[in-house]
Amino acid sequence: MSQTSTPKNACLQWFGKQGYRFAPAIFFISLIIVWELGCTLGHVPQYILPSPSSIVHAFFNVEFSRWMTHLWATLRVALMGFGLSILISLPLSIAMIRSELLNRTLYPMLIVIQSTPVVAVAPLIIVLMGTGDPSRVLITCLITFFPMVVSTTTGMLETPPELIELSKSLRAPRYRETWQIRIPYAIPHIFSGLRISITLAIIGAVVAEFVAAEQGLGYFIQFSTSFFKIPQAFAGLIFLSAISLLLFKSVQWIQMWLFPWSLPKKK
Amino acid sequence: MSESTEKSSQNAYVSMKDVGHRYDPNPDAPMAVQDINLDIHRHEFVAVVGPSGCGKSTLLRMVAGLLIPSHGEVSVFNRPVTEPRDDVGIVFQKPNLLPWLTVKKNVLFPLKHKYGRVSPEDIKRADELLAMTGLSAFAEKMPDELSGGMQQRVGIVRALLLNPDILLMDEPFSALDALTREQIGFDLLDIWRDHPKTVLFITHSISEAVLLADRILVMSKRPGSVLDLIDVGLPRPRSPETINSARFSELTNIIRGHIYEPNVHA
Repeated sequence: MSQTSTPKNACLQWFGKQGYRFAPAIFFISLIIVWELGCTLGHVPQYILPSPSSIVHAFFNVEFSRWMTHLWATLRVALMGFGLSILISLPLSIAMIRSELLNRTLYPMLIVIQSTPVVAVAPLIIVLMGTGDPSRVLITCLITFFPMVVSTTTGMLETPPELIELSKSLRAPRYRETWQIRIPYAIPHIFSGLRISITLAIIGAVVAEFVAAEQGLGYFIQFSTSFFKIPQAFAGLIFLSAISLLLFKSVQWIQMWLFPWSLPKKK
Repeated sequence: MSESTEKSSQNAYVSMKDVGHRYDPNPDAPMAVQDINLDIHRHEFVAVVGPSGCGKSTLLRMVAGLLIPSHGEVSVFNRPVTEPRDDVGIVFQKPNLLPWLTVKKNVLFPLKHKYGRVSPEDIKRADELLAMTGLSAFAEKMPDELSGGMQQRVGIVRALLLNPDILLMDEPFSALDALTREQIGFDLLDIWRDHPKTVLFITHSISEAVLLADRILVMSKRPGSVLDLIDVGLPRPRSPETINSARFSELTNIIRGHIYEPNVHA
Protein backbone atom coordinates (compact mmCIF):
# COMPACT_ATOMS: atom_id res chain seq x y z
CA MET A 1 0.00 0.00 0.00
CA SER A 2 1.28 3.50 -0.76
CA GLN A 3 2.33 5.72 2.10
CA THR A 4 0.98 8.96 0.57
CA SER A 5 -1.29 10.82 2.90
CA THR A 6 -4.00 12.44 0.82
CA PRO A 7 -6.66 14.34 2.77
CA LYS A 8 -9.06 11.45 2.20
CA ASN A 9 -6.56 8.95 3.55
CA ALA A 10 -5.81 11.13 6.58
CA CYS A 11 -9.52 11.41 7.28
CA LEU A 12 -9.98 7.64 7.12
CA GLN A 13 -6.96 7.19 9.31
CA TRP A 14 -8.39 9.58 11.89
CA PHE A 15 -11.67 7.66 11.97
CA GLY A 16 -9.82 4.40 12.23
CA LYS A 17 -7.81 5.68 15.17
CA GLN A 18 -10.80 7.10 17.02
CA GLY A 19 -12.78 3.95 16.29
CA TYR A 20 -10.03 1.87 17.84
CA ARG A 21 -9.85 4.16 20.83
CA PHE A 22 -13.56 4.20 21.57
CA ALA A 23 -14.35 0.65 20.44
CA PRO A 24 -15.15 -0.61 23.98
CA ALA A 25 -17.45 2.33 24.70
CA ILE A 26 -19.18 2.06 21.31
CA PHE A 27 -19.73 -1.66 21.82
CA PHE A 28 -21.08 -1.10 25.33
CA ILE A 29 -23.48 1.67 24.28
CA SER A 30 -24.71 -0.34 21.30
CA LEU A 31 -25.41 -3.27 23.59
CA ILE A 32 -27.55 -1.09 25.84
CA ILE A 33 -29.44 0.34 22.87
CA VAL A 34 -30.15 -3.16 21.53
CA TRP A 35 -31.28 -4.24 25.01
CA GLU A 36 -33.58 -1.22 25.34
CA LEU A 37 -35.08 -1.64 21.87
CA GLY A 38 -35.44 -5.39 22.35
CA CYS A 39 -37.37 -4.91 25.59
CA THR A 40 -39.73 -2.19 24.30
CA LEU A 41 -40.31 -3.52 20.79
CA GLY A 42 -40.50 -7.15 21.93
CA HIS A 43 -42.86 -6.35 24.84
CA VAL A 44 -40.67 -8.33 27.22
CA PRO A 45 -42.31 -8.31 30.67
CA GLN A 46 -40.31 -6.41 33.31
CA TYR A 47 -40.13 -9.41 35.64
CA ILE A 48 -38.29 -11.38 32.96
CA LEU A 49 -35.88 -8.74 31.68
CA PRO A 50 -36.31 -5.10 32.64
CA SER A 51 -35.22 -2.49 30.10
CA PRO A 52 -32.22 -0.25 30.88
CA SER A 53 -34.49 2.77 31.22
CA SER A 54 -36.67 1.05 33.82
CA ILE A 55 -33.52 0.03 35.72
CA VAL A 56 -32.33 3.65 35.78
CA HIS A 57 -35.79 4.68 36.88
CA ALA A 58 -35.77 2.12 39.68
CA PHE A 59 -32.35 3.26 40.78
CA PHE A 60 -33.55 6.84 41.33
CA ASN A 61 -36.74 5.64 42.99
CA VAL A 62 -34.71 4.32 45.91
CA GLU A 63 -33.64 7.04 48.32
CA PHE A 64 -29.99 7.99 48.25
CA SER A 65 -29.61 7.41 52.01
CA ARG A 66 -30.96 3.88 51.61
CA TRP A 67 -28.41 3.15 48.91
CA MET A 68 -25.70 4.49 51.18
CA THR A 69 -26.81 2.34 54.10
CA HIS A 70 -26.72 -0.81 51.98
CA LEU A 71 -23.49 0.18 50.28
CA TRP A 72 -21.79 0.86 53.60
CA ALA A 73 -22.92 -2.48 55.02
CA THR A 74 -21.43 -4.39 52.08
CA LEU A 75 -18.32 -2.26 51.71
CA ARG A 76 -17.55 -2.46 55.44
CA VAL A 77 -17.62 -6.26 55.44
CA ALA A 78 -15.72 -6.54 52.14
CA LEU A 79 -12.94 -4.19 53.22
CA MET A 80 -12.62 -5.71 56.69
CA GLY A 81 -12.42 -9.21 55.20
CA PHE A 82 -9.93 -8.00 52.61
CA GLY A 83 -7.83 -6.26 55.27
CA LEU A 84 -7.91 -9.31 57.50
CA SER A 85 -6.79 -11.55 54.67
CA ILE A 86 -3.87 -9.19 53.94
CA LEU A 87 -2.92 -9.33 57.62
CA ILE A 88 -3.01 -13.12 57.52
CA SER A 89 -1.58 -13.87 54.09
CA LEU A 90 1.52 -11.66 54.20
CA PRO A 91 3.04 -13.10 57.40
CA LEU A 92 1.92 -16.57 56.32
CA SER A 93 3.69 -16.23 52.96
CA ILE A 94 6.86 -14.95 54.61
CA ALA A 95 6.81 -17.83 57.07
CA MET A 96 6.27 -20.34 54.29
CA ILE A 97 9.16 -18.91 52.25
CA ARG A 98 11.52 -18.96 55.18
CA SER A 99 10.70 -22.40 56.47
CA GLU A 100 10.47 -25.43 54.23
CA LEU A 101 8.84 -27.32 57.12
CA LEU A 102 6.06 -24.75 57.50
CA ASN A 103 5.56 -24.70 53.75
CA ARG A 104 5.22 -28.49 53.71
CA THR A 105 2.89 -28.47 56.69
CA LEU A 106 0.62 -25.58 55.78
CA TYR A 107 0.31 -25.78 52.01
CA PRO A 108 -1.96 -28.86 51.91
CA MET A 109 -4.19 -27.20 54.52
CA LEU A 110 -4.47 -24.09 52.37
CA ILE A 111 -5.45 -26.20 49.37
CA VAL A 112 -8.12 -27.90 51.46
CA ILE A 113 -9.53 -24.54 52.54
CA GLN A 114 -9.43 -23.24 48.98
CA SER A 115 -11.13 -26.37 47.60
CA THR A 116 -14.00 -26.13 50.04
CA PRO A 117 -16.82 -24.11 48.48
CA VAL A 118 -17.16 -21.16 50.83
CA VAL A 119 -20.81 -20.71 49.81
CA ALA A 120 -21.50 -24.11 51.34
CA VAL A 121 -19.57 -23.34 54.50
CA ALA A 122 -21.16 -19.92 55.00
CA PRO A 123 -24.33 -21.19 56.74
CA LEU A 124 -22.18 -23.21 59.14
CA ILE A 125 -20.09 -20.18 59.98
CA ILE A 126 -23.26 -18.18 60.67
CA VAL A 127 -24.50 -20.93 62.99
CA LEU A 128 -21.15 -20.99 64.78
CA MET A 129 -20.49 -17.28 65.05
CA GLY A 130 -23.89 -15.64 64.87
CA THR A 131 -25.31 -13.23 62.34
CA GLY A 132 -23.05 -10.28 63.13
CA ASP A 133 -20.20 -8.71 61.18
CA PRO A 134 -17.53 -11.15 62.46
CA SER A 135 -19.02 -14.14 60.65
CA ARG A 136 -19.45 -12.15 57.42
CA VAL A 137 -15.88 -10.86 57.65
CA LEU A 138 -14.62 -14.41 58.17
CA ILE A 139 -16.53 -15.66 55.11
CA THR A 140 -15.02 -12.84 53.03
CA CYS A 141 -11.58 -13.55 54.38
CA LEU A 142 -11.82 -17.25 53.51
CA ILE A 143 -12.64 -16.39 49.90
CA THR A 144 -9.94 -13.75 49.50
CA PHE A 145 -6.80 -14.96 51.21
CA PHE A 146 -5.75 -17.86 49.00
CA PRO A 147 -4.92 -15.87 45.82
CA MET A 148 -2.93 -13.50 47.99
CA VAL A 149 -0.86 -16.23 49.61
CA VAL A 150 -0.18 -17.83 46.23
CA SER A 151 0.81 -14.59 44.51
CA THR A 152 2.97 -13.38 47.40
CA THR A 153 4.89 -16.65 47.71
CA THR A 154 5.29 -16.90 43.92
CA GLY A 155 6.67 -13.37 43.81
CA MET A 156 9.09 -13.95 46.67
CA LEU A 157 10.35 -17.16 45.06
CA GLU A 158 11.01 -15.38 41.77
CA THR A 159 13.69 -13.17 43.31
CA PRO A 160 16.88 -13.62 41.24
CA PRO A 161 19.10 -16.16 43.05
CA GLU A 162 22.11 -13.86 42.53
CA LEU A 163 20.53 -11.25 44.79
CA ILE A 164 20.04 -13.86 47.49
CA GLU A 165 23.72 -14.76 47.03
CA LEU A 166 24.61 -11.08 47.29
CA SER A 167 22.72 -10.94 50.57
CA LYS A 168 24.48 -14.06 51.81
CA SER A 169 27.89 -12.78 50.75
CA LEU A 170 27.22 -9.65 52.82
CA ARG A 171 26.16 -11.82 55.75
CA ALA A 172 23.13 -9.57 56.15
CA PRO A 173 20.47 -10.54 58.69
CA ARG A 174 17.77 -12.76 57.23
CA TYR A 175 14.95 -10.29 57.92
CA ARG A 176 16.64 -7.75 55.68
CA GLU A 177 16.84 -10.32 52.90
CA THR A 178 13.07 -10.65 53.29
CA TRP A 179 12.23 -6.95 53.60
CA GLN A 180 14.80 -5.35 51.32
CA ILE A 181 14.92 -7.96 48.55
CA ARG A 182 12.20 -10.60 48.54
CA ILE A 183 9.13 -8.54 49.42
CA PRO A 184 9.86 -5.64 47.04
CA TYR A 185 10.51 -8.22 44.30
CA ALA A 186 7.11 -9.71 45.05
CA ILE A 187 5.27 -6.36 44.76
CA PRO A 188 4.02 -6.87 41.17
CA HIS A 189 2.75 -10.33 42.14
CA ILE A 190 1.28 -9.12 45.42
CA PHE A 191 -0.70 -6.50 43.54
CA SER A 192 -2.07 -8.93 41.00
CA GLY A 193 -3.18 -11.00 44.00
CA LEU A 194 -4.76 -7.92 45.56
CA ARG A 195 -6.65 -7.11 42.36
CA ILE A 196 -8.14 -10.60 42.27
CA SER A 197 -8.89 -10.57 45.98
CA ILE A 198 -10.63 -7.20 46.12
CA THR A 199 -13.33 -8.36 43.68
CA LEU A 200 -13.55 -11.67 45.53
CA ALA A 201 -14.07 -9.66 48.74
CA ILE A 202 -17.26 -8.17 47.31
CA ILE A 203 -18.40 -11.65 46.31
CA GLY A 204 -17.65 -12.89 49.83
CA ALA A 205 -19.62 -10.08 51.45
CA VAL A 206 -22.60 -10.72 49.15
CA VAL A 207 -22.52 -14.47 49.82
CA ALA A 208 -22.57 -13.74 53.56
CA GLU A 209 -25.54 -11.38 53.10
CA PHE A 210 -27.43 -14.02 51.15
CA VAL A 211 -27.14 -16.33 54.14
CA ALA A 212 -28.00 -13.89 56.91
CA ALA A 213 -28.29 -10.11 56.84
CA GLU A 214 -30.69 -7.23 57.23
CA GLN A 215 -28.55 -4.79 55.27
CA GLY A 216 -26.18 -4.63 52.35
CA LEU A 217 -26.44 -4.65 48.56
CA GLY A 218 -26.59 -8.44 48.40
CA TYR A 219 -29.44 -8.44 50.84
CA PHE A 220 -31.07 -5.61 48.86
CA ILE A 221 -30.95 -7.63 45.63
CA GLN A 222 -32.36 -10.74 47.29
CA PHE A 223 -35.07 -8.73 49.01
CA SER A 224 -36.03 -6.91 45.79
CA THR A 225 -36.22 -10.19 43.87
CA SER A 226 -38.45 -11.81 46.44
CA PHE A 227 -40.92 -8.93 45.99
CA PHE A 228 -40.66 -9.19 42.19
CA LYS A 229 -39.10 -5.74 42.01
CA ILE A 230 -36.84 -6.95 39.21
CA PRO A 231 -35.74 -3.52 37.87
CA GLN A 232 -34.74 -2.59 41.43
CA ALA A 233 -32.78 -5.84 41.80
CA PHE A 234 -30.99 -5.05 38.54
CA ALA A 235 -30.25 -1.54 39.78
CA GLY A 236 -28.69 -3.05 42.92
CA LEU A 237 -26.70 -5.51 40.84
CA ILE A 238 -25.31 -2.82 38.56
CA PHE A 239 -24.47 -0.63 41.54
CA LEU A 240 -22.63 -3.55 43.10
CA SER A 241 -20.64 -4.21 39.93
CA ALA A 242 -19.74 -0.53 39.68
CA ILE A 243 -18.42 -0.56 43.24
CA SER A 244 -16.48 -3.73 42.58
CA LEU A 245 -14.94 -2.17 39.47
CA LEU A 246 -14.06 0.98 41.40
CA LEU A 247 -12.31 -1.06 44.09
CA PHE A 248 -10.39 -2.99 41.42
CA LYS A 249 -9.28 0.30 39.86
CA SER A 250 -8.36 1.70 43.29
CA VAL A 251 -5.92 -1.16 43.83
CA GLN A 252 -4.32 -0.27 40.49
CA TRP A 253 -4.18 3.40 41.44
CA ILE A 254 -2.52 2.58 44.75
CA GLN A 255 0.08 0.51 42.91
CA MET A 256 0.70 3.34 40.44
CA TRP A 257 1.00 5.83 43.27
CA LEU A 258 3.19 3.85 45.68
CA PHE A 259 5.15 1.53 43.39
CA PRO A 260 5.36 3.07 39.91
CA TRP A 261 8.45 0.97 39.12
CA SER A 262 6.47 -2.24 39.54
CA LEU A 263 4.18 -1.61 36.58
CA PRO A 264 4.88 -3.22 33.23
CA LYS A 265 6.88 -0.89 31.01
CA LYS A 266 5.04 0.86 28.20
CA LYS A 267 6.90 0.47 24.94
CA MET B 1 57.57 -28.59 52.93
CA SER B 2 60.51 -27.18 51.02
CA GLU B 3 61.61 -23.63 51.50
CA SER B 4 60.54 -22.50 48.06
CA THR B 5 56.95 -23.72 48.34
CA GLU B 6 56.74 -22.18 51.80
CA LYS B 7 57.72 -18.86 50.32
CA SER B 8 55.32 -19.06 47.41
CA SER B 9 52.37 -19.89 49.63
CA GLN B 10 53.17 -16.84 51.73
CA ASN B 11 53.07 -14.70 48.65
CA ALA B 12 49.80 -16.25 47.64
CA TYR B 13 46.83 -14.15 48.56
CA VAL B 14 44.08 -16.45 47.46
CA SER B 15 45.17 -20.04 47.56
CA MET B 16 43.40 -23.22 46.44
CA LYS B 17 44.89 -26.52 47.46
CA ASP B 18 43.60 -29.75 45.87
CA VAL B 19 40.20 -28.17 45.74
CA GLY B 20 37.29 -30.23 44.48
CA HIS B 21 33.59 -30.13 44.92
CA ARG B 22 30.74 -32.57 44.59
CA TYR B 23 27.26 -31.12 45.01
CA ASP B 24 25.71 -34.50 45.66
CA PRO B 25 26.99 -35.98 48.97
CA ASN B 26 26.84 -39.48 47.44
CA PRO B 27 30.52 -40.50 46.88
CA ASP B 28 29.71 -42.07 43.50
CA ALA B 29 28.25 -38.82 42.16
CA PRO B 30 30.40 -36.92 39.68
CA MET B 31 32.58 -34.06 40.84
CA ALA B 32 31.76 -30.55 39.61
CA VAL B 33 35.41 -29.51 39.87
CA GLN B 34 38.46 -31.46 41.01
CA ASP B 35 42.18 -31.11 41.74
CA ILE B 36 42.32 -27.37 41.46
CA ASN B 37 45.61 -25.91 42.64
CA LEU B 38 45.97 -22.19 42.18
CA ASP B 39 47.74 -19.42 44.01
CA ILE B 40 46.62 -15.91 43.18
CA HIS B 41 48.92 -13.09 44.24
CA ARG B 42 47.67 -9.95 45.80
CA HIS B 43 46.30 -7.50 43.21
CA GLU B 44 46.72 -9.99 40.43
CA PHE B 45 44.14 -10.26 37.65
CA VAL B 46 43.36 -13.91 36.97
CA ALA B 47 40.87 -14.98 34.33
CA VAL B 48 39.24 -18.39 34.21
CA VAL B 49 38.11 -19.79 30.86
CA GLY B 50 36.58 -23.12 30.04
CA PRO B 51 33.58 -24.73 28.37
CA SER B 52 30.07 -24.25 29.75
CA GLY B 53 29.33 -26.21 32.88
CA CYS B 54 32.98 -26.84 33.73
CA GLY B 55 32.54 -25.46 37.24
CA LYS B 56 33.96 -21.97 36.74
CA SER B 57 31.17 -20.46 38.79
CA THR B 58 31.62 -23.15 41.44
CA LEU B 59 35.20 -21.99 41.79
CA LEU B 60 34.11 -18.39 42.20
CA ARG B 61 31.52 -19.28 44.82
CA MET B 62 34.12 -21.15 46.80
CA VAL B 63 36.39 -18.12 46.91
CA ALA B 64 33.38 -16.00 47.88
CA GLY B 65 32.72 -18.30 50.81
CA LEU B 66 29.22 -19.00 49.49
CA LEU B 67 30.18 -22.61 48.95
CA ILE B 68 32.54 -24.68 51.08
CA PRO B 69 34.45 -27.21 48.94
CA SER B 70 33.88 -30.85 49.75
CA HIS B 71 37.57 -31.56 49.04
CA GLY B 72 40.70 -29.51 49.68
CA GLU B 73 40.84 -25.99 51.00
CA VAL B 74 40.45 -22.43 49.79
CA SER B 75 42.30 -19.88 51.88
CA VAL B 76 42.85 -16.16 51.82
CA PHE B 77 46.04 -14.94 53.50
CA ASN B 78 46.61 -18.42 54.87
CA ARG B 79 43.24 -18.47 56.62
CA PRO B 80 40.73 -21.00 55.35
CA VAL B 81 37.52 -19.55 53.92
CA THR B 82 34.63 -20.88 56.00
CA GLU B 83 32.01 -18.18 55.47
CA PRO B 84 31.45 -15.15 53.22
CA ARG B 85 34.14 -12.54 53.73
CA ASP B 86 33.75 -8.78 54.12
CA ASP B 87 36.59 -8.00 51.70
CA VAL B 88 34.96 -9.65 48.68
CA GLY B 89 32.88 -7.90 46.03
CA ILE B 90 30.86 -9.88 43.50
CA VAL B 91 29.72 -8.86 40.02
CA PHE B 92 27.21 -11.18 38.37
CA GLN B 93 26.45 -11.99 34.75
CA LYS B 94 23.31 -9.88 34.91
CA PRO B 95 23.53 -6.50 36.65
CA ASN B 96 20.78 -7.60 39.09
CA LEU B 97 20.06 -4.05 40.17
CA LEU B 98 17.01 -3.48 42.34
CA PRO B 99 14.36 -1.92 40.07
CA TRP B 100 12.78 0.11 42.89
CA LEU B 101 15.96 1.96 43.82
CA THR B 102 17.76 4.77 42.01
CA VAL B 103 21.24 4.12 40.67
CA LYS B 104 22.83 5.76 43.70
CA LYS B 105 20.70 3.83 46.16
CA ASN B 106 21.55 0.64 44.28
CA VAL B 107 25.22 1.44 44.73
CA LEU B 108 24.67 2.06 48.44
CA PHE B 109 22.53 -1.07 48.79
CA PRO B 110 25.25 -3.43 50.13
CA LEU B 111 25.86 -1.12 53.11
CA LYS B 112 22.18 -0.51 53.70
CA HIS B 113 21.62 -4.25 53.50
CA LYS B 114 24.51 -5.25 55.73
CA TYR B 115 24.24 -2.59 58.43
CA GLY B 116 20.72 -1.21 57.96
CA ARG B 117 21.91 2.37 57.45
CA VAL B 118 24.31 4.50 55.42
CA SER B 119 26.45 7.35 56.71
CA PRO B 120 27.17 10.66 54.94
CA GLU B 121 30.71 9.34 54.28
CA ASP B 122 29.23 6.31 52.53
CA ILE B 123 27.13 8.58 50.34
CA LYS B 124 30.23 10.60 49.54
CA ARG B 125 32.06 7.42 48.59
CA ALA B 126 29.18 6.33 46.35
CA ASP B 127 29.29 9.75 44.65
CA GLU B 128 33.03 9.41 44.09
CA LEU B 129 32.69 5.94 42.63
CA LEU B 130 29.91 7.09 40.33
CA ALA B 131 32.03 10.04 39.22
CA MET B 132 35.01 7.75 38.63
CA THR B 133 32.96 5.55 36.29
CA GLY B 134 31.28 8.48 34.55
CA LEU B 135 27.88 7.67 36.00
CA SER B 136 27.29 10.86 38.03
CA ALA B 137 24.66 12.12 35.62
CA PHE B 138 22.68 8.92 36.13
CA ALA B 139 22.81 8.84 39.94
CA GLU B 140 19.14 9.68 40.40
CA LYS B 141 17.87 7.62 37.45
CA MET B 142 16.07 4.33 37.80
CA PRO B 143 17.91 1.23 36.51
CA ASP B 144 15.48 0.61 33.65
CA GLU B 145 16.33 4.03 32.22
CA LEU B 146 19.92 2.84 31.63
CA SER B 147 21.37 0.72 28.83
CA GLY B 148 22.66 -2.76 29.60
CA GLY B 149 26.27 -1.59 29.62
CA MET B 150 25.46 1.27 31.99
CA GLN B 151 23.56 -1.09 34.28
CA GLN B 152 26.53 -3.43 34.46
CA ARG B 153 28.80 -0.46 35.25
CA VAL B 154 26.49 0.26 38.18
CA GLY B 155 26.79 -3.41 39.15
CA ILE B 156 30.58 -3.04 39.23
CA VAL B 157 30.40 0.18 41.24
CA ARG B 158 28.09 -1.57 43.71
CA ALA B 159 30.69 -4.32 44.16
CA LEU B 160 33.38 -1.69 44.77
CA LEU B 161 31.44 0.16 47.46
CA LEU B 162 32.77 -1.84 50.39
CA ASN B 163 36.27 -1.35 48.95
CA PRO B 164 36.89 -5.08 48.63
CA ASP B 165 40.38 -6.46 48.27
CA ILE B 166 39.05 -9.29 46.15
CA LEU B 167 36.75 -8.72 43.19
CA LEU B 168 34.94 -11.78 41.88
CA MET B 169 33.37 -11.42 38.46
CA ASP B 170 31.12 -14.15 37.06
CA GLU B 171 30.94 -13.62 33.28
CA PRO B 172 30.17 -9.98 33.94
CA PHE B 173 30.11 -8.79 30.33
CA SER B 174 28.61 -11.78 28.56
CA ALA B 175 25.17 -10.17 28.24
CA LEU B 176 26.56 -7.10 26.49
CA ASP B 177 27.10 -6.40 22.80
CA ALA B 178 30.65 -6.71 21.45
CA LEU B 179 31.47 -2.99 21.30
CA THR B 180 30.17 -2.21 24.78
CA ARG B 181 31.92 -5.29 26.03
CA GLU B 182 35.33 -4.16 24.83
CA GLN B 183 34.88 -0.64 26.17
CA ILE B 184 33.70 -1.76 29.61
CA GLY B 185 36.66 -4.17 29.76
CA PHE B 186 39.12 -1.30 29.31
CA ASP B 187 37.17 0.74 31.86
CA LEU B 188 37.55 -2.14 34.30
CA LEU B 189 41.33 -2.15 33.71
CA ASP B 190 41.43 1.60 34.44
CA ILE B 191 39.60 1.09 37.73
CA TRP B 192 41.85 -1.83 38.60
CA ARG B 193 45.00 0.23 37.84
CA ASP B 194 43.86 3.11 40.07
CA HIS B 195 42.42 0.91 42.82
CA PRO B 196 44.41 -2.34 42.74
CA LYS B 197 42.43 -5.42 43.66
CA THR B 198 42.80 -9.14 43.39
CA VAL B 199 40.48 -10.06 40.54
CA LEU B 200 39.08 -13.46 39.67
CA PHE B 201 37.37 -12.99 36.33
CA ILE B 202 35.29 -15.77 34.83
CA THR B 203 34.55 -15.59 31.14
CA HIS B 204 33.56 -17.56 28.08
CA SER B 205 35.54 -15.29 25.84
CA ILE B 206 39.13 -16.30 25.17
CA SER B 207 40.10 -12.92 23.73
CA GLU B 208 38.56 -11.10 26.68
CA ALA B 209 40.61 -13.24 29.07
CA VAL B 210 43.84 -12.53 27.17
CA LEU B 211 43.08 -8.85 26.88
CA LEU B 212 42.39 -8.31 30.57
CA ALA B 213 44.27 -10.84 32.67
CA ASP B 214 47.77 -11.34 34.08
CA ARG B 215 47.28 -15.09 34.15
CA ILE B 216 44.65 -17.36 32.67
CA LEU B 217 43.41 -20.59 34.19
CA VAL B 218 42.12 -22.87 31.44
CA MET B 219 39.68 -25.47 32.71
CA SER B 220 38.64 -28.77 31.18
CA LYS B 221 35.04 -29.77 30.71
CA ARG B 222 33.15 -31.31 33.60
CA PRO B 223 34.50 -32.40 36.04
CA GLY B 224 36.45 -29.18 35.74
CA SER B 225 40.17 -29.40 36.39
CA VAL B 226 43.15 -27.29 35.43
CA LEU B 227 44.31 -27.82 31.82
CA ASP B 228 46.80 -25.01 31.84
CA LEU B 229 47.80 -21.90 33.69
CA ILE B 230 49.10 -19.32 31.27
CA ASP B 231 51.20 -16.23 31.95
CA VAL B 232 49.87 -13.59 29.60
CA GLY B 233 52.85 -11.28 29.80
CA LEU B 234 51.37 -8.64 27.52
CA PRO B 235 52.50 -5.13 28.46
CA ARG B 236 50.14 -2.80 30.30
CA PRO B 237 48.31 -0.55 29.80
CA ARG B 238 46.43 -2.73 27.35
CA SER B 239 44.57 -1.04 24.52
CA PRO B 240 42.81 -2.01 21.29
CA GLU B 241 46.37 -2.16 19.85
CA THR B 242 47.08 -5.13 22.12
CA ILE B 243 44.69 -7.21 20.06
CA ASN B 244 46.90 -6.77 16.98
CA SER B 245 50.07 -8.01 18.65
CA ALA B 246 51.53 -11.37 17.71
CA ARG B 247 51.58 -12.50 21.35
CA PHE B 248 47.83 -11.91 21.59
CA SER B 249 46.98 -14.24 18.71
CA GLU B 250 49.56 -16.77 19.89
CA LEU B 251 47.89 -16.92 23.32
CA THR B 252 44.34 -17.12 22.01
CA ASN B 253 45.44 -19.97 19.73
CA ILE B 254 47.01 -21.87 22.61
CA ILE B 255 43.87 -21.54 24.71
CA ARG B 256 41.62 -22.42 21.81
CA GLY B 257 43.73 -25.53 21.28
CA HIS B 258 43.25 -26.55 24.90
CA ILE B 259 39.52 -26.12 24.78
CA TYR B 260 38.87 -27.83 21.45
CA GLU B 261 41.39 -30.67 21.79
CA PRO B 262 41.70 -31.27 25.49
CA ASN B 263 43.07 -34.82 25.03
CA VAL B 264 46.18 -33.63 23.25
CA HIS B 265 47.23 -31.56 26.22
CA ALA B 266 45.76 -33.47 29.12
